[in-house]
Amino acid sequence: MTQPSIFRPGRRAVLGGAIAAGLAAPTIGRAQGNVTLRWWSPQTAPAQRAAYMFQIRTFEEANPSVRVAVEATSDEGYPAQMAAAFASGQVPSVVTHLPSFALATYWQNNLLEPFNDVIEMVGPQNYFEGANRIYEITPGQFAGTGIGGSAANMMWLRRDLMQAANITEVPRTWDQLRDTCRRLQRGGVFGAPLPYARNSMTSLIFICFVHGAGGSIFTPDLQVNVDNDAFRNALEFYRAMRELCPPGATGYSWGESLTAFVSGAAATGIYTGRVLANVAAQNPRIAQHVTCHMYPTISTNVPHWTFNDFPSVMIPRQAANMPVAKRFAAHLFRADGYIRQLHAAPGHVLPVLRTIYEMPEYQNNPIIEANRPAVQLMSQAAAAGHNLGWETTRHRPNVRAGQIIASHVLAEAVQRFCLNNEPMAQVVSTTAQRLEQLMRA
Amino acid sequence: MTARAVNPLDRRYALLGVMLIAPAVLIFCAVIVYPLVSALYLSLFRIFTPTLTGNFVGFANYAELMSSPEFWRSLLNTFIWTVFTLALQIIFGVAAALMLNQAMVFRSLARSLILFPYFVSTVVAVLVWRWLFNDLYGILNHTLMWMGVLSMPLDWLGSMPNAMVSVVLVGAWKYFPFVVIAVLARLQTIPEQLYEAATIDGAGAWGRFWDVTLPQLRDVLIVVILLRAIWDFKEFDLIYLLTGGGPIIATQTLPLMVYKEAFGLNEMGRASAVAVAMMLVMLVFMIVYFRALRAREEPR
Repeated sequence: MTQPSIFRPGRRAVLGGAIAAGLAAPTIGRAQGNVTLRWWSPQTAPAQRAAYMFQIRTFEEANPSVRVAVEATSDEGYPAQMAAAFASGQVPSVVTHLPSFALATYWQNNLLEPFNDVIEMVGPQNYFEGANRIYEITPGQFAGTGIGGSAANMMWLRRDLMQAANITEVPRTWDQLRDTCRRLQRGGVFGAPLPYARNSMTSLIFICFVHGAGGSIFTPDLQVNVDNDAFRNALEFYRAMRELCPPGATGYSWGESLTAFVSGAAATGIYTGRVLANVAAQNPRIAQHVTCHMYPTISTNVPHWTFNDFPSVMIPRQAANMPVAKRFAAHLFRADGYIRQLHAAPGHVLPVLRTIYEMPEYQNNPIIEANRPAVQLMSQAAAAGHNLGWETTRHRPNVRAGQIIASHVLAEAVQRFCLNNEPMAQVVSTTAQRLEQLMRA
Repeated sequence: MTARAVNPLDRRYALLGVMLIAPAVLIFCAVIVYPLVSALYLSLFRIFTPTLTGNFVGFANYAELMSSPEFWRSLLNTFIWTVFTLALQIIFGVAAALMLNQAMVFRSLARSLILFPYFVSTVVAVLVWRWLFNDLYGILNHTLMWMGVLSMPLDWLGSMPNAMVSVVLVGAWKYFPFVVIAVLARLQTIPEQLYEAATIDGAGAWGRFWDVTLPQLRDVLIVVILLRAIWDFKEFDLIYLLTGGGPIIATQTLPLMVYKEAFGLNEMGRASAVAVAMMLVMLVFMIVYFRALRAREEPR
């Protein structure tokens, strides 16, 4: 019989040690401060994801005990995903690129962490004037901050096709736009890729047309405002454009609409500056013929109205490791990573930091350099932009805007009138009632 | 009269029995009873989904549903989808099974390949079909235009009745292999003598199918139809990904309405009420199913 050595532990000791180590591991991990952050974004094109990975790497290098995981959401799917996350308590640490009106709804329900600390870390003086105004729903407290600006309803034209159709003038009014589209629609090319689907893009684009008719969905004090000529004119014009859009536009969301223009299937486009990057990458032969303009309105008397969804950054109140999450949110604005992120889709997400916009590193991008007038126009338009959460400077913030978009009430109004040919009075009345219900709920 | 003394051994056995059955009961309670009671409970409240806070409203959600045209339209859509897609699954499934039961070249390969739609992920299947249906690049429109059947691309998913027809067809394509598996297994056990006797009696191919094959398939078809009816009735992902319930609510079935109410409109209470109503309809399917099952098990 051999005497057990203190240096050669028995099986029981090994087993006991393994169990003890297993039980202690999470504690040790916590003691060492291992933290995993979850970052949600609906903007996950490959180039953008590559930029995010750079930002994550630099943050992890500076914070060795932190790991960051990117998880994709989508423009159509985020309301459901966020609702489920909030309800279950399994919230992401940081959420970026959701429209500002989504934040307003969450803020109203006390689901978000105030963002003042993060804005302080970024430096309030670095932002463009008034860039965070839309997030100040409660005076003195910010629900989030902008990570960019966008001008989502810019009109994109193909000069080569216009030249071939002997069109020299850029359309300024709806009548001119319809005439242009009609003359450009031939040989398998459609006039425009407007959406007619039951989705958020149709709702958001239709809101642009209501404003383009000189109206608004709500009055400045947030009373439903659809029973008027502006709303009716917008519906009429939208229906008139149906024959100039591809048959499948009844299922179009942002991606399909963009692809229709970039691929050459539509002669005009309605989108943000992502057109520039996609044309350069996917259809460079038309790049030199593509120009960007403000979208026409019903008449020259009605000024342009730009839809800016104000892509945001927010942190759910339930998020774990709040100080680290806030540090990471601020890190997203560090020049090297932020510029990469903006360059991943030049002109699509425009900088909210004046200091970044002025940097040569940002300006020295081949696509921005080649399309400087377009980028400047989009920047100006986005700076003056609005959305359903804040329709004009006279409007109060509408904290119900997110739910109105998610309910598809406005998209359904478009479908009822343009596709189902339901009477105008019935469509307007139903839409008004449903909007009122949603505002009351 | 005195109470009979309980044998300690019996008591120990009874306790052992309870302990052995407890895990199953606990799991049953956790995955069946709790969600069911939860849904019933939630349906009596008006609840904001993200915060799960709300107030008691009694049967108001049900009253709202009963007076909501959207609910009745969604119920009708659910029936249309279930009946038509199921009918096509049965027709194609039986036809394919009969074909695969014949001696043919590459029969094993054909039997494997025909199961492909059932095994492929719904997301992948829908993506492929959306490309096929695409107005600008879809091969379906291109082929039909090339053949001169269409002069302009057809809007397969965005207008009615095309959207419902497309959804039903894709559903039938996706799920008919299940019918093939079940029917083929039964076909292989039908005694050959029955066919020989029918042939001697002068029955042709149609007669043999009608008088021999179909009666022999009766039991398996009842089970398949009931199971598929239940599964189709609660189908969500395929319809949601293909049309999202549109145009307007023309292809919106009850599961899509539950999703929209719960996560689109953040009305968890109303969503639960729709789910409970859906469960009641499905209960009818289940009662029929259990009756059919019992009828099969009873000795003849």
